Amino acid sequence: MRICEVMDRDLTALSAETTLSEAIEILTRHRVSGLPVVDGAGRVVGFISEKDIVKAALPGYFDYLQDPSFIPDYGQFQKRLKKIGKDPVSKIMAKEVISFSEEDSDFYVAITLIRNHLKRAPVVRDGILVGVVNRADLLERIMLEEESPSFA
Amino acid sequence: MIVTVTLNPAIDEEYVVPEFRPGGWFRVSRVQRSPGGKGINVSLILKQLGVETAAMGFLAGFSGEYVRDVLRKAQITTNFLHVRGETRTNVYIVDEVGKVETGLAELGPYISEDEIARFLSNYERILKRTELVVLGGSLPPGVPQDFYCELIRLAKQREIPTLIDAAGAPLLAALDEGPTYAKVDQRFMANYEGVALNSLDNLIEAVQRVHSHGVEWVIASYRTYGNVFCTHEGVFLAEFDRKGIVSMFGSGEALIAGLILGGRERMETKDRIVFGMAAALENALHVEKGIRDREAVERLIPRIRFERLL
Repeated sequence: MRICEVMDRDLTALSAETTLSEAIEILTRHRVSGLPVVDGAGRVVGFISEKDIVKAALPGYFDYLQDPSFIPDYGQFQKRLKKIGKDPVSKIMAKEVISFSEEDSDFYVAITLIRNHLKRAPVVRDGILVGVVNRADLLERIMLEEESPSFA
Repeated sequence: MIVTVTLNPAIDEEYVVPEFRPGGWFRVSRVQRSPGGKGINVSLILKQLGVETAAMGFLAGFSGEYVRDVLRKAQITTNFLHVRGETRTNVYIVDEVGKVETGLAELGPYISEDEIARFLSNYERILKRTELVVLGGSLPPGVPQDFYCELIRLAKQREIPTLIDAAGAPLLAALDEGPTYAKVDQRFMANYEGVALNSLDNLIEAVQRVHSHGVEWVIASYRTYGNVFCTHEGVFLAEFDRKGIVSMFGSGEALIAGLILGGRERMETKDRIVFGMAAALENALHVEKGIRDREAVERLIPRIRFERLL
């Protein structure tokens, strides 16, 4: 099945200049974990997820820690989060974006999302955002589909 | 792509009651819930006619989620801004025996200046690949009365035609900006530039005045089942009879969707008007808002009475 039949044709996106505090507000209000970042023409230039924001608000050494219980106390986290709130999305967004075309198969998209630990990814037509795919929607679709030969 | 703008969407709840009267207590024989607001209705009906659109505007709360969800399932492209509060619910009571409809409309959530600015940036972005903008309905609290003017101006700068279906001050302000198409919603508008919109002669005068402001197509409803159209080719009246009509709810938007499809297919003015009216009639033959399919609309074409007035 082609991804255009499963994708969410929603164009909600941020611009590179959107501040992180505004991005958090939009993510919350739209109840999504991540959003594409687009230029004035709707071309996808990045992707930002709540995970990227959390990471940016944690100290640099956090990457080296294996266990999240080492997260510094709440006060420090809040202070850093507020500090980066005025930064533009472009500062921390993923610039190498994994995106799909409407003709891609649902299996290909699902496997790519799983392999790259992604929950959501943009669908583009000539580089322009036309929708998003959600891993959960794909899982549901694959679960309901007839069994097919294994994906190589 | 066609873009529909619904700044104040709604959940439309249509209750069918055998015999409705104020002050009574009734058992509802049927209830129909659907996402509403003029732009959204146009998007849904165009989808039924096989035309892709993108719907945008403001949504809020649980009702907003519901509206988005239905649009998503219908595979309609969306670009709504989610705001605080709750998308409104409009209640319509259809009296099956008396064949009259009663409506109750909420105001809608408050929109802040920041949210308006965010909406405008989304709008300008989408305009870059838009062939027609459909603007419809009331404005939610917080949105300035002349907001449609700005949306029309931005579209005109890019030579994109616009269609507005509204009433009162927002419509009057928008007409100054010269939209390509204007549909006057008479439920909320009793007169235009001092001309009472009651008789056919007055209606003709009003639509001609609007046309003289640079609006290429002016549409105004006449009685319950008719519309007057003013284009550069003349003034026309198209009507249908009341046989089989259940609810006119959504018929205005079906008319618009039909006219848009006719325009895309380069139909002659008469055929375009008749097709639009047949879509409006098809919508009125059942409680469910919208049309069944194009064939169902085409079958009703013989029921449309078309007449040149001027």
